[in-house]
Amino acid sequence: MRREPAGDVVRAKQMDETVSEFFRRTILKIPLTEMMTILKTWNFLSENQLQTVNFRQRKESLVQDLVLLCEENRASLNDAALLDIIYTQFHRHQKVWDVFQMSKGPGEDTDLFDMEQFKSSFKKILKRALKNVTVSFRDAEENAVWIRIAWGTQYRKPNQYKPAYVVYYSQTPYAFTSSSQLKSNLPLLGQALTIASKHHQIVKMDLRSRYLDSLKAIVFKQYNQIFETHNSTTPLQERSLGLDINMDSRIIHENKTEKERVQRVTQEIFGDYPQPRLEFAQYKLETKFKSDLNGGILAEREEPLRCLVKFSSPHLLEALKSLAPAGIADAPLSPLLTCIPNKGMNYFKIRDK
Amino acid sequence: MELANTLSQDGESRGGVLAHLERLETQVSRSRKKMEEPQSAQAEESALGTRIHELRRLRDKLRAEVKQHQASVKASTTNVEPDQTLEITEQESLKRKWENVKAILQAYRFTGISGKLTSRGVCVCISTAFEGNLLDSYFVDLVMRKPLQIHHHSIPVFIPLEEISAKYLQTNIQHFLFTLCEYLNAYSGRKYQADRLQSDFEAFLAGPLQRNSLCNLLSFTYKAEPEGQSFPFCARLLYKDLTTTLPTDVTVTYQGTDALSTTQEEQRAAHENLFFTKPLHQVFTSFARKGDKLDMSLVS
Repeated sequence: MRREPAGDVVRAKQMDETVSEFFRRTILKIPLTEMMTILKTWNFLSENQLQTVNFRQRKESLVQDLVLLCEENRASLNDAALLDIIYTQFHRHQKVWDVFQMSKGPGEDTDLFDMEQFKSSFKKILKRALKNVTVSFRDAEENAVWIRIAWGTQYRKPNQYKPAYVVYYSQTPYAFTSSSQLKSNLPLLGQALTIASKHHQIVKMDLRSRYLDSLKAIVFKQYNQIFETHNSTTPLQERSLGLDINMDSRIIHENKTEKERVQRVTQEIFGDYPQPRLEFAQYKLETKFKSDLNGGILAEREEPLRCLVKFSSPHLLEALKSLAPAGIADAPLSPLLTCIPNKGMNYFKIRDK
Repeated sequence: MELANTLSQDGESRGGVLAHLERLETQVSRSRKKMEEPQSAQAEESALGTRIHELRRLRDKLRAEVKQHQASVKASTTNVEPDQTLEITEQESLKRKWENVKAILQAYRFTGISGKLTSRGVCVCISTAFEGNLLDSYFVDLVMRKPLQIHHHSIPVFIPLEEISAKYLQTNIQHFLFTLCEYLNAYSGRKYQADRLQSDFEAFLAGPLQRNSLCNLLSFTYKAEPEGQSFPFCARLLYKDLTTTLPTDVTVTYQGTDALSTTQEEQRAAHENLFFTKPLHQVFTSFARKGDKLDMSLVS
């Protein structure tokens, strides 16, 4: 098993009480159905050790046994942090993720990204600014890294129960961060990311969701992976349009042409691929009132009206896609709604031009 | 005079003259009817007869039509008619030609760049390869409009697509595709070498292979002999040129505290040179073949 070198490893005959408590609360979070999988992924307790534990007992007792095993293995704070990262990776939807975009200066040399250099640089920058901070890393697939940061202050030890997470894919300009309650540390985090990854600037995008994989699909432009080739076995024309028009010959569809038009327009805009998952779109309007009717109090108002329109759904883009076919909205939908994945935004500020 | 006789024998005939006249009238009309009946019956008969003839004629006509239709259906399914076989062979040969063309279009991907027309433009397929191995394919779906636009694509995010499109997409589409092809083939090649090293030569590596998304920085510790006494070297390969599959910078170092002997130093320098000139996995293949004695002839 590999451990992170140096840093804040607590070496003591008895495990520190705070660390022990941190272990207890982290393991307690894990649902019983996932316990074995997560512990195996963590790979800190050996196969033999896990076999000595009764996984069928009451959760509190099970957790106690596991904490004792961790103490036996002289588990450090970093090991606990690693377990916390793994738990969060399994339950990434429990966090709300923001997206940051970094940029380089013009005419930069080729990006020779060194993961070890990045990690040490990132940690150094945070430690230099804040004496009390816990930084842990876990490598992930596709040359990405998950970073866990527990913030402290000059005089207070890091709070292990409100960590921030950053997911960074090497040699890309994007970083995904879990919205941390401690917003004051955000500039420092941005700085550390930018410098360690050899970028110049960092900007927060107007994109937020619980679904990390959908956010990645949107900014990496991976959500539409359907391409026409000569090798495809099902020609696109044979695709069913989802219309049950030929179901029963006794039923006549009066507005068949209109229905087909709506289907065609919807397919052009939304495509045939599964939409990335977002829970809302928010529009902040600061516009003057526009009305067809002459007169009226609001029409004479010089100041713009301020209002917030928020669309919420368990799966916003799929819901928008089904609006026109269901007859609830006209096709094509407003570009303000359909531009969401293309522009990589779900927060909009609309002002009069 | 008969009339008078009838009249005089009054007692025997009933009624009088008028009655007699009436009788005579009835007689005449009766006899007339009798004469007409066969005529009308005849007329009816002949009319019916004509009708029967007509219906029979119609029936025969329809029967003939049905027979003909059945015969033609039968003929087309059994293909017995000699004048229809010519049509069939034409159909078959067309079908064969069409399938041939389809196969050629499918095989085009082996040329590296192929495409298919779409309703809005063209979908270009860039198929990458390295050392004769067909690797991943990447797609760029273009919209034929002024200005030319990329609708969607499967190019990895760390390939500088925006840069390349900004330079060439609008002015020289050929150059755009060839440059993209260069970058993607080089990336595929580097990735192939790194994957080969990780999977096939695990025994030679003392630790995990460190790599990045572009596979343009590789760092690893290795032994030229997995079992033997040879010293572990640390290699660091940089590929500053993203269009090549061979490194631009190679550093091989020894992590130990003792100084290297001359042979070890020679070995180190030789390894460095090898990494510069040969693909990564081929270097390790040569290690596997030659043991600790490097064949200098490999270094060309």
